[in-house]
Order: sequence, then C-alpha cells, then structure tokens
Amino acid sequence: MKLSDIIVGIAMALLAVMLSYLMVYGGLGPIASYNIRPLAAAFLNNTYNPWQKIYSALSPEAVTAIVWDYRGLDTYFETSVLFIAIVGLVALFRGANIVQGISSKGLSIIVKTSTKIIVPLILVAGASLAFHGHLSPGGGFQGGSFMTVATALLAVAFSIEFLQQKRLSLNTLLAVRCVGLLAIAIVSVYLLINAVLLGGYAYIFQNMQRLLFSPNSLVAVGISQYSMPYWFLDRPLGGTLFFFNLSESIAVIGGLTLGAVLLLLRENELKTVIGGEEHE
Amino acid sequence: MNDLVYFLFITVLVSMIINTAIALYGVFTKPSLVKKFIALTIFSDSINSFAILIGFRRTPLGYSSIAVMPSLPQSPEDLKNFINTAVDPLPQALVLTAIVIGLAVNMFLVGLIILFHRHYGTTSVKRVRI
Repeated sequence: MKLSDIIVGIAMALLAVMLSYLMVYGGLGPIASYNIRPLAAAFLNNTYNPWQKIYSALSPEAVTAIVWDYRGLDTYFETSVLFIAIVGLVALFRGANIVQGISSKGLSIIVKTSTKIIVPLILVAGASLAFHGHLSPGGGFQGGSFMTVATALLAVAFSIEFLQQKRLSLNTLLAVRCVGLLAIAIVSVYLLINAVLLGGYAYIFQNMQRLLFSPNSLVAVGISQYSMPYWFLDRPLGGTLFFFNLSESIAVIGGLTLGAVLLLLRENELKTVIGGEEHE
Repeated sequence: MNDLVYFLFITVLVSMIINTAIALYGVFTKPSLVKKFIALTIFSDSINSFAILIGFRRTPLGYSSIAVMPSLPQSPEDLKNFINTAVDPLPQALVLTAIVIGLAVNMFLVGLIILFHRHYGTTSVKRVRI
C-alpha cells in the first residue's frame, strides 16, 4: 500500500459516510414515502389525459412521453452524444477494413444452426419492444440495443466477413446510423414546416395541440392547431412518439452494430494500420 | 413494521453509496486499464440503480398494488386512481437514455484500451514506456 492509495481510500470512505448521512437525514426528501413528488404527479396526470389535450402527450406510457415529448430536445442531444461516441470509435479504427482472414468460416455447424433459429426471434422481440414503446414499457433505445444482440451474435457465429457479404459493411452501418438521426430531425421539425407552409404557428418537437405564447410575455394568446395523429385503428399512436421510437431504434441498431464489428476486427489485420513507426 | 421497512430501505441506500465509493476507489488506484474500466461500469450501474431507487414509492394505504395502467383510463377518476398508485417516472426516463449512451461510450473506451494494448503491449499505465 502506498501513501496515495491510503489517501484515496480515506477520501472515498469519507464520501460514503457523508453521502449516507445526507440521504438518511433527508437530503433527497422523504425516503420510502407513500406519496410522489408534485413534478411526477404532473407528468403522470398529463401523459394520457384526453380531457386536457393541450397539455397531454396522449400516450399511456409515461416514460416514453417524458423522453420524447416533454424532454424531446434533451433526448435529441443525448442521441447526438451516442452518435459522437460511435464517431470517436470509427476515428480510432480509421483505415481498418474487413478482409478475408483465417477465421472467416465462423464457428461450428451446431452454433450456426442454433444462431439461425435464435436470430429472427431476437429481432422480432426487439422490434415489438421498440414499436410498442408508446403503449408499454420499452422504446427505441431498448429495442435498438435488443436487436443489436442479434447482429452481434451473427458477427460472432458467422464471422464479420458474413456481415460484409450481406452488404452490412462499415460504411453501410454508418449510413444507417445517419439515416436514423436524420429521421429524428425531420420528425421533430415536421409540424413546424407544416405550420410555416400553411400559415400558422408551431413549435419544434411539437406533438399535440399546444398553447401559443407571445414572445415577450407568458400570456397564452391562442392554440396551435397542428397535431400529429394520436389514434391508429383501435389504439393510441402517441403522435410523434411512435415515429421517434422507430427512427431511434434504426439509429441505435446501426451505431451499436458498427461498434461491435469494429471491436471484433482481428489483430493481425489491424497491426499494419495502427502500427505506424516503431517506438524505441 | 414501518420502522423495519424504513431500516431496510436505508440499508439498501447506504450499500449502494458504499458500492459507488468502492468503484471510485478502483478507478483511482488500480494501474490496469481493464480493471479501471470494470470499476467504471460498476460505478455507472450503481449510480443508475440509485437514481431509479429515488423514484421508489410504497403502496399507498387502501390500494392493493402499484399501478401499471392495464387499460386506458375511461374517466378522470380512473386517471386519479392511477396517479395515486404509480411510481415516479422521471428517474426512469433519465436512466433509460443514460444506459444506452453509457453502452456507446463504454464501446469507445474498450476500443481505446484495445488499441492501447496493441500499441504498447500492456494495459498497465505504470509500465508504459514512451
């Protein structure tokens, strides 16, 4: 044990004790109470409220409504963070490409057959998780990462050359990622463009009809009549929520599959790319 | 009964905070980048579960269970019943995006560590010679 380790240990112990003291004596408000905070009650009240359409997202799933309606711009930038992380990974492995190698045959026939059976099931389960995100727990993020498991399984069991032969090269995956992000951007400004063309007012990330405010005061001056479809056949559609979940799942599956394929690249092929000159 | 529930809940909270502190200790003191990375994932996972725990709510008196909205509310009374039993959705919404973004950032870090190992032949930050 060195002195620096002991100092760090004491500091962390102090952190734990102080934070525990804070929590136990009410730093976060009441613990294990019977009531929820007023903010949570407001969100729950407005999530599916057909009697107050001006404040409501008209989707029975509160988490998705918060993520894509009430905090939509926030989530858009979080998606951008995901995109930038993937771009950083691509930049780390720049110049690398998939060539036919020794292990391009993949694993044994038993593994391949069971993967063939499992992969469609995973894809269907992930798609149902993503496309029902406005009705039940789930959404674009979870469904996309769920479906990434299937493609990662394919890459491991059938080798990454198999993905290459099926036209899932690195550039294609990056393009899929960009298409997802672009679709989110288009859906977010769709009502705004609609309102501008038809002569009216709307907001970015507007979902249902919303109150219009004059720019200089907090007085409502009217109602923006533009609204996404909130009812499809016999169930709620949640307006933009469904389209956001769809494009987000596409974006996540493209980005995370790209990351998995990059991490699976073989060492011998990469040595020439990343080696550069030798260090003494 | 009430005191026991409160005590158990405090125990869970404190254990999560201790978990966080131990993970941070690992990030600061372990020389191996892989161990640093493992400690970092444990840190983010304990913070995430801690954030979900903040939204916890006990079943209110007079109700049988926490609600999941089995069908669409038909009247304002249905909605009121739902609000009286549902948990706080905001921490879940915040954690949801944090997990997937954490996955992408972790992928980036793993790629960085792999390249570090291929370049220097070691993952220990103390044995690297430039």
